[in-house]
Amino acid sequence: MADDKDVLRDVWFGRIPTCFTLYQDEITEREAEPFYLLLPRVSFLTLVTDKVKKHFLKVMKAEDVEEMWFDFEGTPLKWHYPIGLLFDLHASNTALPWSITVHFKNFPERDLLHCPSNSVIEAHFMSSIKEADALKHKSQVINDMQKKDHKQLWMGLQNDKFDQFWAMNRKLMEYPTEEGGFRYIPFRIYLTMSDRPFIQKLFRPISSDGYTHTLGDLLKEVYPVAISRDDESKRYQVVIHGIEPLLETPLQWLSEHLSHPDNFLHISVIPVPSD
Amino acid sequence: MSSCFLDEETFCQCCQLLLQHSHSLCDGWSWEQVKGSEEGYLRKTALGTGRTRCNLDQQGNSSDQHQERTFSLSFHNDDEDDDGAVCCIQEESSSSSVVQYEYHILYSCSYQTPVLYFRASTLEGRSLCLEEVWDSVHPNYRQRLQHRPWDTITQQEHPLLGQSFFVLHPCRTEEFMMPVLKAALDEHRQVNYIVTWLSVVGPVVGLDVPLSYCTQVPEPPHTPSSSPQPPSSSPQPPSSSPQPPSSSPQPPSSSPQPPALGTKPG
Repeated sequence: MADDKDVLRDVWFGRIPTCFTLYQDEITEREAEPFYLLLPRVSFLTLVTDKVKKHFLKVMKAEDVEEMWFDFEGTPLKWHYPIGLLFDLHASNTALPWSITVHFKNFPERDLLHCPSNSVIEAHFMSSIKEADALKHKSQVINDMQKKDHKQLWMGLQNDKFDQFWAMNRKLMEYPTEEGGFRYIPFRIYLTMSDRPFIQKLFRPISSDGYTHTLGDLLKEVYPVAISRDDESKRYQVVIHGIEPLLETPLQWLSEHLSHPDNFLHISVIPVPSD
Repeated sequence: MSSCFLDEETFCQCCQLLLQHSHSLCDGWSWEQVKGSEEGYLRKTALGTGRTRCNLDQQGNSSDQHQERTFSLSFHNDDEDDDGAVCCIQEESSSSSVVQYEYHILYSCSYQTPVLYFRASTLEGRSLCLEEVWDSVHPNYRQRLQHRPWDTITQQEHPLLGQSFFVLHPCRTEEFMMPVLKAALDEHRQVNYIVTWLSVVGPVVGLDVPLSYCTQVPEPPHTPSSSPQPPSSSPQPPSSSPQPPSSSPQPPSSSPQPPALGTKPG
């Protein structure tokens, strides 16, 4: 049986083979070759695609280049969502490599956030961590950390340094023994078949009478549609980091081991593919 | 966040009371309900003024060939690695123009506070960028925001609509709400959390809150579990709602006072 710490490593080092193709209407001086890259599941598109940008800029004039953005099968990809979440939500039942289209014009203003620099990614990342700690510890742990500790979390993610990141992150995963877990679990359930991008609610990992809540308990409470009744065939997959955890898994354990670096459990609910 | 919290039910009640007054003033607020749930938000559109870059086309591209394309926001100090092509705002090339604003007031369960989301566009339908939004903030407020730009107004995804909005970050709400709530409690005044909060954050982003809101909108009927708690360093007495001492005189007032806490509002 794998050690729990191995799970942390497997989550951190998860990769998705991706093929980037330039949008056909972009103006180029010569033919643009596709670019292949292994994307880290736990990072963000705009943080890891400098090479993609440099590759396509080689065949384009500067005046034809504005802010880079990506789409998959016509859906603009939100860079502020972790890469693994985007894949699970939009492409998990398609063939690898993941085919992403690259754009340098006509930025979809209403749908995508701008990302003019890495500072913006850092701000988003730290903002999520702070929000997660507000839920887990009433912000006490994050507020007790120094600025350099916050920086270490970000640098760990930016430079793909597991040990550097977890040296700090382990503090955010602690809780008073007598509580049995965090105050509330930071989670978001992402839906594909809804205008609403995600569901986020207050949910305790341990009930007041000491009962340990499971993934199934969470779904029954906040998104019961995801769980099929016994007498019907399964309609939805509940996916975290590309896998379907058993619904009996304790939520506290999931929060400690399958959260993203931003300390949130990002859960995709996608329709079971009909072959 | 152990004090100054607002639970979701009280949020909804405060919003409904604000809404009633808005209807009487034709002030334009509406309540938008999320399909199939209890959740919702307040919404209002308004025309205002803002500073926009006048020489941009529909996509926000500069038609002026001599426009500088360098990254030089004055309050950035640690950015060495960006290679994005972001226009620099030159004061002389932006001008005052009519801007269409859309404001949403949502509830954040993580911070247990309201949050103000907004977006802005020119009358031609071009969305304002963050720099233009900055420039549109009244000079009186600008210095306060400039010290920590990424902590205050940022671009975020609207959690219910999934679209891009600007947001006033909620983590500092406690700082300004705490003294107000405490003073109101000490003076036995009614406070509608949303009205008070909006009167502080709204003007920063061009949203006016007429004075009558503060005098005419009551507090929702409160029970001990739902009222905003004043800050305290000692533990709260168990489940007792704050009561004015029976022998104290009414506080002096220069304007008509609503009934003291604990009684039903009109």
